[in-house]
Amino acid sequence: MKSLYLTFHVYLAFARKSFQRQMQYRIANLAGLTTNFFFLLVQVFVYTAFYKTSTVPQPLNIDDIITYFVLCQASLMLMPLWGGREIADTVRSGSVALQLTKPVDFQAYWFADECGRACYYLLMRGFPTFLISLLFFKVTIPQQPSVLLAFTVSMMLAIFMSATITITIFSSAFWTLDTTGISGISASVITFFSGMLVPIALWPEWLAHIAGWLPFSGLIDVPFSIYLGKVTGIEVWHAVGKQTAWSLFFFGFGRILLARGFSRLVIQGG
Amino acid sequence: MYHFSLYFHFVKLRIRSQMEYRLSFVIELFAQACISVIDFFMIALLFDRFKELAGWSLWEVGFLYGMIGICFAVAEMIGRGIDTFQRSVVRGDFDTMLVRPLGTFFQVFAHEFLLRRIGRLAQAMVVLFIANSQLTIDWSFVKFGYLLISLASGTCFFIGLFVIGATSCFWTVQSIEVINIFTHGGVFMGSYPFSIYRWWFRHFFTFIVPLACVNYFPALFLLGKIESLGVSPIGVQLAPFAGFLFLGITMLFWRWGVLHYQSTGH
Repeated sequence: MKSLYLTFHVYLAFARKSFQRQMQYRIANLAGLTTNFFFLLVQVFVYTAFYKTSTVPQPLNIDDIITYFVLCQASLMLMPLWGGREIADTVRSGSVALQLTKPVDFQAYWFADECGRACYYLLMRGFPTFLISLLFFKVTIPQQPSVLLAFTVSMMLAIFMSATITITIFSSAFWTLDTTGISGISASVITFFSGMLVPIALWPEWLAHIAGWLPFSGLIDVPFSIYLGKVTGIEVWHAVGKQTAWSLFFFGFGRILLARGFSRLVIQGG
Repeated sequence: MYHFSLYFHFVKLRIRSQMEYRLSFVIELFAQACISVIDFFMIALLFDRFKELAGWSLWEVGFLYGMIGICFAVAEMIGRGIDTFQRSVVRGDFDTMLVRPLGTFFQVFAHEFLLRRIGRLAQAMVVLFIANSQLTIDWSFVKFGYLLISLASGTCFFIGLFVIGATSCFWTVQSIEVINIFTHGGVFMGSYPFSIYRWWFRHFFTFIVPLACVNYFPALFLLGKIESLGVSPIGVQLAPFAGFLFLGITMLFWRWGVLHYQSTGH
């Protein structure tokens, strides 16, 4: 029991370090906040104009859409689009060798690192974006505590999945060294199928069907649909179950990839 | 003339060095193509559901999208050196540029050339061509020339934004990322007709940051939509020159900024 506690402490320290590292870039965060807000503004303009001309009832009304995009911009930095470059860098520079000699699990280390980063962006980017948006837009806030609870669980799973996907993507560095291409391709697939650009509820049916079979809607569309009260009752359990399954899948897949990667790792120089 | 031949020499060297990593180049090109195809596909999805946007059809918006996409891709391709200028300031490399017998702006400009933006450029051109084939624009010599001037002007506009970002490095060392709002954000908002934005937003992006002048107004003229908006036709026809003017002003800003350069040292 004691050893488990100690292990937890070690990784907590890693997460805290990662959090503190992000704290250094305050101005950059402020710039990012402004950018988030700008894109949000344009998105709101565009959708408002679309809704103005449409006479047919839509599955989401304009207030839902605005809330959806506020949440999107608030959680943008939590998505598996930005982090993990350091993993690739350690492989390229060879400093990964040093890391492997330490009595620390490689994947767990990076997972802790990602969690620290996520906490930072949740506190310093997510909440501020959301709060500022409350002032300018009509943002819906769910009234039932059960919805909020379900949303919190679903969002945490989304962050968990995001971290495992990031590690999986960047562990490909063991094969390619340069991950720019792979991370670019995966970023485009993720932005598309997560519903970050257009909510999946507005997609044509055949495409929404494909998205349902893929894990990425679990990052954005699933938690936000729960938030908006579009997914209720037994469906919540179903959605959250699917998120959990996919998270575990990426966790396992990343682990296998890393194990394979270590066995073929060649460190140049000394 | 000397500058021209020197520039092409630099570009040749840059391309050769980028082609050293051929596989990486191809993968990135593919990644870029994926991103940009998805980008327009999303707009198409919205039109599939809503049919029209403030009186604009999908391919009219596609025309706007293609124009701004071409401008930005070319600007990123040739203006990359300016965009990444902060590295030179952080490392103190700008010192060496100051002692060379060439203008600083030219050196920074010719310093980099990003060939792989050709993927983004191709996508934007394809969208523009398809849009053109779906619409009935009666092309004349004048209209075609006008399109080319508008595209050149839009490219100058984006390069002008890079120049502002680079010049600010003389004071801040690190580049100010807020400029991304105007570059990437500009591409995003320029893909939609300006009439959907609020008046203060529209005015800001017409008179202070002249994005509308290089994209929306030219498109209005080419698509024959001027009458419907009640704006002065002469103003619309002269609008593209705002892009050149913008670049000119930012270059003056650059010259002033260079005087304030303090080396970060080695």
